[in-house]
Amino acid sequence: MRQSLLAVTAVLSAALAGPAAAQERGGILNFARYDGSNLIDPIYADRNPDIWMVGSLFDTLLRQSPDGSSVVAGLAEAHSVSPDGMTVSLTLREGVAFSDGTAITGEDVVFSLDRARNPDLSPWAGLLGSIDKVTAEGREITLHMKAPDPTILQMLATFTTGIVSKAAFEAAEGATDQEKSAAIFAAGGPGAGSGPFYLCGFEQGTSMEFCANKHYWRKGADGKPLPYLDGVHFEIIPDDATRILKLQAGEVDVAEFIPFSRVPELQADPTIKMNLYPSTRIIYSPINTRETRADGSPNPLADPRVRQALNYATNKEALIGLVLQGAGKPMTSPLMAAATHLAADLDPLYGYDMEKAQALIAEAGIAPGTEVTFTTLAGSADDSTIFAALQQMWAPLGIKLKVEQVDGATRGAKNRSGDFDIHTYGWVNDVNDPSQVTGWLGYTPTANAVGTGWENAKFNDLFEASATEMDVETRAAQYAEMQKIYAEEAPLLFMYETPFAVAVSSAVEGYVQTPLGNNVFEEATVSR
Amino acid sequence: MDRVQYILKRLLLMIPTFLLVMVIIFVLVRLLPGDPAIAIAGDRASDADLAAIRARLGLNEPMIVQFWLFLTNTLQGDLGQSILMRAPVTEVIAKRLPVTGFLTVYAVALSLLIAGPLAFVAALNRGRWPDTVIRTVFQVGLSMPVFYIGLILLTFLAAQLRWFPVGGYGGSFIEKLYHLFLPAVAVALYTSAIIMRNLRSAIIEVLDAEYVQFARAKGLPDRLILGRHVLRNAMISTVTLLGLSIGNLMSGTLVTETVFAVPGVGRLMLEAIFARDYPLIQGLTLTFAVLVSVVFLLTDLFQSTLDPRMRLT
Repeated sequence: MRQSLLAVTAVLSAALAGPAAAQERGGILNFARYDGSNLIDPIYADRNPDIWMVGSLFDTLLRQSPDGSSVVAGLAEAHSVSPDGMTVSLTLREGVAFSDGTAITGEDVVFSLDRARNPDLSPWAGLLGSIDKVTAEGREITLHMKAPDPTILQMLATFTTGIVSKAAFEAAEGATDQEKSAAIFAAGGPGAGSGPFYLCGFEQGTSMEFCANKHYWRKGADGKPLPYLDGVHFEIIPDDATRILKLQAGEVDVAEFIPFSRVPELQADPTIKMNLYPSTRIIYSPINTRETRADGSPNPLADPRVRQALNYATNKEALIGLVLQGAGKPMTSPLMAAATHLAADLDPLYGYDMEKAQALIAEAGIAPGTEVTFTTLAGSADDSTIFAALQQMWAPLGIKLKVEQVDGATRGAKNRSGDFDIHTYGWVNDVNDPSQVTGWLGYTPTANAVGTGWENAKFNDLFEASATEMDVETRAAQYAEMQKIYAEEAPLLFMYETPFAVAVSSAVEGYVQTPLGNNVFEEATVSR
Repeated sequence: MDRVQYILKRLLLMIPTFLLVMVIIFVLVRLLPGDPAIAIAGDRASDADLAAIRARLGLNEPMIVQFWLFLTNTLQGDLGQSILMRAPVTEVIAKRLPVTGFLTVYAVALSLLIAGPLAFVAALNRGRWPDTVIRTVFQVGLSMPVFYIGLILLTFLAAQLRWFPVGGYGGSFIEKLYHLFLPAVAVALYTSAIIMRNLRSAIIEVLDAEYVQFARAKGLPDRLILGRHVLRNAMISTVTLLGLSIGNLMSGTLVTETVFAVPGVGRLMLEAIFARDYPLIQGLTLTFAVLVSVVFLLTDLFQSTLDPRMRLT
């Protein structure tokens, strides 16, 4: 299965680098989604079904390089950072326009970035907290920084810095920015953004239409403007089995989020390409590291040796076989997916070793029959499988694993209040930089190290220092150190990485889901 | 009692019912663990963000103040803003309700079409093989979960034979009949099983009644007896049963609409609960309460029309 992942990586890189020569043009791609968008806006998008569509409607100043490690020109044809890191200069590409043909000006850029970094409006404002002021003179844009920020160029290639039309917002109905944004979304039509498509139909909870932006600046392999498609039609099919049936019946061309148990069957279907796109998605379980549990009783998991023991006693390959039918790989960095920039390769990260696990448990003085509660999502088949497997795997340690099933909102509340022992969780990067996931999983002030209550002064210092470290090598060393500390302390049960499983009809070429999850249609084609 | 007076009395009685429903649902959604602020901002939001959202939603106000606002706004026809959908609750429900309404009426109509004739066949052949076959088949229908029936129908009739579309909701009336056929059948298979059993025993009861025996003895043709006496009397209990199962039908749509990707209020309710969308859950519950009350009232009125012996009190 790893081989096929590699193959997909190659396809993905090729697709991002440049399409093949002969391209079919026109047609509508029919796409079955697991959940619908509610508001696609660079700053208000906060759920994946919204975030992952922003790039189709709103273009950014910079773009990810095909391998994701750096940035390349986008709406800005040139960019540079001053040696002290306090000024970022960008030059807007000549002749770029919004989807209704009106020119994109420096004013639109200032408006968009000011909106994106306004903490009263945007939940993502923290990503741009290092910017002091944005100014524009003609096509020259300048970001004046409060402090150097090694992530700033990546942020300018991230959905939340998508450029919106100032004029469209001024003309929109509504008293507040959010009302205006909702009004623009509800009305649809070209003009709000400059992405490869614009929204041209929306039926909440049912369907959505994207139409090709005739003014998009990027060119296809045939020298004419992208996208190749006339549009994309989305249908929301929440049920996994129904979504697959819809593809098999030929009613849609793409069905996303295929359950891994169905992957082998679809791989055998000659009319379907079962794509496993490499992702930054990790599946892990936060472990409560506090001295006492929420109910006041002593917490056996507070001892790092116990957490290490649980990690050694967990056979990740077996879990991957059971849950993902082999379509995944064990985590090799404790803090991020291997595809993330600066990820350390600690393979094997807690390779299965029952003897070591039992020795650690004995050293920690854990009595046989110690009860630990594992909180899972009710109705999730994956979680049930994980629980059943862990219960068996940990039994030789004398750990008596009990299950507690809750829904997503309850699990979130428990994570925040620290009212859990261990629970399942997952993560996909929103930003192509390790700072976001590292802050989430390890830096205490962000979210109590993903609710575990883990606090390590050295780790926190390193994280803070890395936030303004412009020297690439020093920053890489800081990340290596943080990952070492985190692996040693094991505030998580490190599990596995999963690809995005998307089934595509053989008539479709060039559709890509990026490691961040973004749905990219600009170079997709469909032959009817 | 005078019919108009009776209706007025029943409508007045609905007021305390709705008040009680409002209190219960208001308290219940707030007893659920999980925070709508997290549902909005995501697990990753900072505590400050969550506090700001709670303040914006008015969730920091004392419960009694929140309830007063809910009550007074509802009386003015304002059910608040859906957190999840970012649109007025009334608007969201108004868009989705007709879909579920269509599906429910369609399913009831299909149930009657399926159950009615078969109940007659079974009753008239009581104890013989047609009766046994019909009852066995329906027993199977009754014991299969709707989502399972749904998937079987989708796999064979839609994905393989391509007679019907896999999920969705058409535009025109005819398209809707076509798109919603399979979901309606999935619901109807269950409902018709209940109706068939009830109708069959009602018919048998009427057939055994002395007045029917007498009519037969008088030499009235079977068609006339069945039409005038049996059908009319057997209808009474069927209508009651249908009225009472409106709650079941409504909750059945939660599953059916998800499996068949039908954008109705059932699926909306599920989404609202998972997102802890308080205003939307409250609005939907109230809508369901109104619908059920109205259907119960109509059932009683219809019953009294069919059977003059039933007094409206």
